[in-house]
Amino acid sequence: MSTTETILSDEIREAIRAIFSRYPTRQAVTLPALHLVQERLGYVPLQAVVEIAELLELAPAQVQDTLSFYGFFEQDKPLGRARMWVCRSLSCAGRGGEGLLDYLCEKLEIRPGETTPDGRITLEFAECLGACDHAPAILVNDTLHKNMTEEKIDQLLNTLK
Amino acid sequence: MATILIDQREVEIPDEPRLNAIEAARLAGIEIPHYCWHPGLSVAGSCRMCLIETGTRDPKTGDVSLMPKLVPACNTPAVDGVVIVTNSEKVQHARAMVEERLLLNHPIDCPICDKAGECLLQDYHFEYGEDERRADIRPFTSRRRDVGDTVTLFVDRCIQCSRCIRFTREITGTSELMLINRGSHGEIDVMPDFPLQNNLSGNVVDLCPVGALGDKEFLYRQRVWFMQRHPGICTGCATGCSIWIEENQDRIHRLKPRENAEVNEWWICNEGRYGYPHVHNDSRLWEPRRREGGSVVPLDWTTLPAQLDERLRGAGRLAAVLSPHLTVEEAYLLCQYIRQLDGKAPLILGPVPVVGEDERFPGGFTISAEKCPNRRGVEQVIAHFAGRVTTLDEFLPELAAGEIRGMWISGGYKTDWIDAPTAERFGSLELLVVQDLFASPLSERAEYELPGAAFAERDGSYVNRGDRLQSARWAIRPPGSVRTEGSVFWELLGRKGLYSARAVLDEVAREVSYFNAAAGPIPEVGIDMKVNLLA
Amino acid sequence: MSNYEPVLLANITKEQSHTRAVYEAGGGYRTLRKTLKEKSPKQVIETVRDANLRGRGGAGFPTGLKWSFLPEDHPGPVYFCVNADESEPATICNRVQMELDPHQVLEGTILSCYATRAATAYIYLRYEYPLSYRRMQAAIDECYAAGYLGKNILGSEFSLDITIHRGAAAYICGEETGLIESIEGRRAWPRIKPPFPAVEGLFRKPTVVNNVETVACVKQILDRGVDWFKSIGTPPDPANPRDPGSYGPKLFGISGHVNRPGCYEAPLGITCRELIEEFGGGVWKDRKAKAVVPGGLSTGLLTADELDTKMDFTGPGLVGCLGLGTGCAVVMDETYSMIDYLHNSCRFFAHESCGQCTPCREGTEWALQMMERIKAGRGRLKDLDLLLEISATIGIIPGTTICGLADGAAWPIKNSIDKFRDEFEDYIKKTNPQGYSETEPVMAVEEALSGTAI
Repeated sequence: MSTTETILSDEIREAIRAIFSRYPTRQAVTLPALHLVQERLGYVPLQAVVEIAELLELAPAQVQDTLSFYGFFEQDKPLGRARMWVCRSLSCAGRGGEGLLDYLCEKLEIRPGETTPDGRITLEFAECLGACDHAPAILVNDTLHKNMTEEKIDQLLNTLK
Repeated sequence: MATILIDQREVEIPDEPRLNAIEAARLAGIEIPHYCWHPGLSVAGSCRMCLIETGTRDPKTGDVSLMPKLVPACNTPAVDGVVIVTNSEKVQHARAMVEERLLLNHPIDCPICDKAGECLLQDYHFEYGEDERRADIRPFTSRRRDVGDTVTLFVDRCIQCSRCIRFTREITGTSELMLINRGSHGEIDVMPDFPLQNNLSGNVVDLCPVGALGDKEFLYRQRVWFMQRHPGICTGCATGCSIWIEENQDRIHRLKPRENAEVNEWWICNEGRYGYPHVHNDSRLWEPRRREGGSVVPLDWTTLPAQLDERLRGAGRLAAVLSPHLTVEEAYLLCQYIRQLDGKAPLILGPVPVVGEDERFPGGFTISAEKCPNRRGVEQVIAHFAGRVTTLDEFLPELAAGEIRGMWISGGYKTDWIDAPTAERFGSLELLVVQDLFASPLSERAEYELPGAAFAERDGSYVNRGDRLQSARWAIRPPGSVRTEGSVFWELLGRKGLYSARAVLDEVAREVSYFNAAAGPIPEVGIDMKVNLLA
Repeated sequence: MSNYEPVLLANITKEQSHTRAVYEAGGGYRTLRKTLKEKSPKQVIETVRDANLRGRGGAGFPTGLKWSFLPEDHPGPVYFCVNADESEPATICNRVQMELDPHQVLEGTILSCYATRAATAYIYLRYEYPLSYRRMQAAIDECYAAGYLGKNILGSEFSLDITIHRGAAAYICGEETGLIESIEGRRAWPRIKPPFPAVEGLFRKPTVVNNVETVACVKQILDRGVDWFKSIGTPPDPANPRDPGSYGPKLFGISGHVNRPGCYEAPLGITCRELIEEFGGGVWKDRKAKAVVPGGLSTGLLTADELDTKMDFTGPGLVGCLGLGTGCAVVMDETYSMIDYLHNSCRFFAHESCGQCTPCREGTEWALQMMERIKAGRGRLKDLDLLLEISATIGIIPGTTICGLADGAAWPIKNSIDKFRDEFEDYIKKTNPQGYSETEPVMAVEEALSGTAI
């Protein structure tokens, strides 16, 4: 046995194995496993992909193929503590969503898809958050922020550590 | 039989195997262009190049009604009564549309692309595309990416047909290749540290309909239109794959699989594909020579056969070693000749090289551990003449007994096949004739050292691991003063005219019951010799 | 419409509406008990078919018919998937249901599984709905505790397990075979059909995929009966023997430039104007509506003159739109630029094209490049015809792509240029009067040979 360090802890592996019984194939656990790893590690580096593939009895390329399709999983470095999804779809755009995205880019000095150097915020555009009744909307991790304005963004940023 | 109507022509097609519209149209001589579909892979239906119109015909009135929807021919079963239209304006528009879309982000770097000349994107665009670009010209990228030992990827030439990916998932089961990203940003890639590395990897280059996947070995060696291709049989192992030998002026530049549903389907292994450089190796034996005392004298083929015949007749008891690289015809002629001189001459099967174990892939392809093409064929010929097959190991004690005074040994191996101590055991012979590709400890002891021909230079037949006999003609002429084994034996036997493998095979089929089925013309897929064994 | 009493949304105004206690207090799971006792699966399918229930996810395919495609006496397993991907832009109603009335969704799911004999169901839930996820998961846990899920539900022979499968931000997962591929762990490339999911679906087994709102309707039909369902909505067009009609209540969304954006329940067949005025509270800032997306971005556009279009399965199609879609409308007021609208739409579809079929993958990207250029003031009049041609080849001409979602990329282009061509032409003439482009295509072959090109 090689002594190469693994990136997935025994606890994460156990959590992935616990999902197996819910699906008739191992490959079907791909998305749940990727979500689980991204939630725990903040990202899914290539080494994690290799280890997930091993658990699911797949080739690493099969997992990476699926992963890269979704554009949801970060691979280079951990996401910011807050992942901010700014909706740019029609309903939000018509009520200023695109302006808010520009505002955040300027204010945080990053572009969509990037993370502030202090690791506080990852900024993303969303194609539609399904919150058109509260447009413009911003999803921060698990919390939806409704009817956003620049002032409300300023307040929100103050609460994000 | 099912009857279908293709472009207003009635075509009869067999019920089995079930064909799709592309295959059925091909039977009718109509080509439906396609990129992603390949008969050896699952149906993707994504390139949309094979869009056609389909419908039904009223059996009473004969009126045809077409569906408004275009459908991909690859996923349209050619069932009885179906109407297929491949030449309507609607279909032609769809093809021109797909061509235009595929070229939007293609670098169009044909002058430096290996695929030029055999590229479907080129051919289809010429045939079905528009002559004007309507899209904005944008700066394009032309990135090259290493994906494995034998294959390189020109990322931006890819049209995302996914054939290569499906191949690694369905045929090799190795799944090294993947598509990354989504939409028009999709690219073929491999995981770092997990390169495309399997023994069938070279096939993805053949599968690639465009110049995205390049064969590192072939890259920039030849423009494809300078090469001629000849049907051949791979002699790398006992599987006996059907191949195309592609050469220019007697120099092989590429071997590719030749479709054979009975043997290799559409594939060949890397060992076979890249297994020809020995043919052009400068150290090949290239002229007949004789050793006299300490010196080596070049000989002339015009007088040599008579000289050999005379020496063999005078040598006393004879024996012959037949390489499993010989063709059926050559083995037959050699046995016939030696037995003609000595009716009891032992006929010995040369060493059968075995490396490791058979490698079987999920898609069904097998690379044989037995690294020679014709053990079965040569064994059957020997058995016919001698009643039983003697191996070299079994024969060596007999050789030591000293009764045998003259031997003819055929080699033809790509690599070292006999070591010095074994070769030494042939030292007491009065006459040793060795016919081989390369010098060996044995050929260095031979009084007559004759150059042998390589596989691509021979006419003849091989019997593979599945008792299937396949025939091929020569593809290139032998170098220097090399003569093929068959022509030498032909002349030794005093036969008239040029060597004819076909004439010999006719004789073999008549004389040897195992080969009875080879009496008629040999189809491209070969003939199963077992059919007679059952009867 | 003010006299219409909501059914699907009846529960959501209550405190703690997402809990089992509140749901049951309002009669929840009564239908499940009754149905398991009194009806065979076959009878449930017949009831749903008799009600002419049509799928609420966008395509409007008759649900009972879809179920009847399942092979009879299949040794199993059969899978049931709830499509809760709700990725169509401007669509919100599934979210409202899952957040505020998850038990109605679950009761409908359990009943649908009973009808289709599925013992395993997956709810494909988009990742952008974290609250829906928490509420649905909590509701599932409550159901297991109450014996509504698990082995031998309520003492019957029927067993069912439900798993929530979370998506990862890809529009295409709303396509039923893309959804299936996504659950199986691959890129969500829609499958080529045939075979259809009812024959070979999830894990290559017979599968039904139904929308959240559809299964909620199943619950209501079994509770209130076929006659009740058919008393609501638009009956079939007698002139069209294949029209199953547009029966039942529907959840409508209204957003964009209106005073009261939200999710509302109304009978199928209300007009778009009623939706805007009575539910949406009218166009904001006392402005007029210039254009309205009838049912999710992919359905195209209604002009101000077409607002009396009936919001049912046939209405939007009669004025050149793709269809009713999800029934979630977006209003654009008179100040909103159609160039911005089309740019927004093209950007969405280029980003979300799954990339499998050449026409959609390359066509959506080409359309976006052109719209970016037009928006930036370098448009040419001939671009408009080119855009229309691109749209024709990714959906208007049937069959050019594997899935129907490419159609959705086509209709916004077609409707906006057809219906607002003057605005596009004026914009191009104003911003690029010389017709200049630094990316002029190469000259045509004839021009090159004759030397007439510049």
